[in-house]
Amino acid sequence: MAKVTFITEDGNSHLIEDAEGSLMDIAVDNGIEGIEGDCGGVGSCATCHVRVKQEWMEKVGKAEELEQDILEFEDGTCSRSRLCCQIDVDEDLDGLVVEVAKLG
Amino acid sequence: MSKCPYHDPFKEAREKGPVLETEFDGDPVAMLVDFKAVRKACRDPKTFSSDAPFRIPIPREEDVRTVRQYPFEVDPPEHADYRAIVEPLFRRPTTPEYIEKMEDLVDELVRDAAGRDSIEIVREFAIPLQSKGLTLLLNMPMSEADIWIKWGTHVFRDESGVSKGHEMEAYTNSLFDKAEANPGEDFFSHLTKAEYRGRKLTREEMQGYANIAFAGGRDTVINAISMVVAYVAEHPEALDAMRENPKLIISGTEELMRYASPVTHLGRHCPVDTDVHGTKVKADHLISLNWAAANFDPKIFKDPEEVKLDRKPNPHVAFGNGIHNCLGAAHARLTIRTLLKKLCELTSSIELVDFHRKKEVEAHYTRENAFHTLNVKMAPATP
Repeated sequence: MAKVTFITEDGNSHLIEDAEGSLMDIAVDNGIEGIEGDCGGVGSCATCHVRVKQEWMEKVGKAEELEQDILEFEDGTCSRSRLCCQIDVDEDLDGLVVEVAKLG
Repeated sequence: MSKCPYHDPFKEAREKGPVLETEFDGDPVAMLVDFKAVRKACRDPKTFSSDAPFRIPIPREEDVRTVRQYPFEVDPPEHADYRAIVEPLFRRPTTPEYIEKMEDLVDELVRDAAGRDSIEIVREFAIPLQSKGLTLLLNMPMSEADIWIKWGTHVFRDESGVSKGHEMEAYTNSLFDKAEANPGEDFFSHLTKAEYRGRKLTREEMQGYANIAFAGGRDTVINAISMVVAYVAEHPEALDAMRENPKLIISGTEELMRYASPVTHLGRHCPVDTDVHGTKVKADHLISLNWAAANFDPKIFKDPEEVKLDRKPNPHVAFGNGIHNCLGAAHARLTIRTLLKKLCELTSSIELVDFHRKKEVEAHYTRENAFHTLNVKMAPATP
């Protein structure tokens, strides 16, 4: 279990206390605005685009090449962009903060 | 099926470069066949516009409909406001209530199929499933599907050669009349009540929404259903793997959509002379975004001609990409996921009896991604 915070487009923070598993599933289960996860987590739909807070980048890691290709043409992509279906939350990521990108 | 010589008819073209110079309706069309080129073009609606009624689907559709399709054939910024009117309705397939209704529907159809000696999947399974499924999306009584089932696989271009396009327009127009007189909670009533930038929609706009709601998700969903049944009939190990690990139903749905790519390609209009990766496209001419070719691009998909149910990441563009991505995608995904789930649960074997493939024959390619007929024998699961 870990705590993760989503900062949605409207600037509000949403703290999830008991997060575990796919960050996309966590967002969808908690109704986080801007994360839809339509494809169920295989990176087809790019509806789970987040930007990881800089201080967490080292632990979460950058997007791999194929994920970067997916993100390349999305709106609001930067070097901290990830598809959250590709991030697995465990205790190492306790305290993680991500910003939810605008749906393209 | 994976050995089908036509499965990736764009391989040679893709190796030569991102553009296949081809032609449709007697005009040159610059067809993009490279994944990145397709995705990039999706994101540039100024250069590659959708504001070209009847010409976004290729070949053009003036002969089969009289209305611009909304929000499909509209550019930004108006597009976002037109799309917002219907987006909430098309998000409903992710709700538990909707999922349960879809499960009940597919359950009934698979039980019926497995109870017969054999079944012709296209006409006796895929068309009823698509039509009845659409009543959920449009929030109509399921009995209404009886009318739609008679339209055949493709409202506009069924193999009978008779377009049902004008019949469909008269039908949807009568539904808007009824909805205006006595509004309910269905798709048609929603449109009669909707406002676009502070005014009511015109009847022509309403007809444009209805037109694509019926035409856009018809042959595509029917062909996807048939392809999925054919695939699992030829690959019983795929259903076994999904029974063992139900998560594969989710990723497998995406992979089978990539593999089937029900819409081969769609057009975009160049308002001015445009250089498209070295190909000169004249003003008022078209490019094509070839989803099927992009989905087999080996630079993105390792072993593209292999179905890998656990492929991840799988950035396929079977539902398009960018602002015009398929509005019905959530419904289509649910349809295929539920189909796979029920085939796992309710059948013990599916045997391919015979089939007759449908060919999409164009100037520079022939593609086979659909069936005229597909006969299978399904055995019910042993209790």
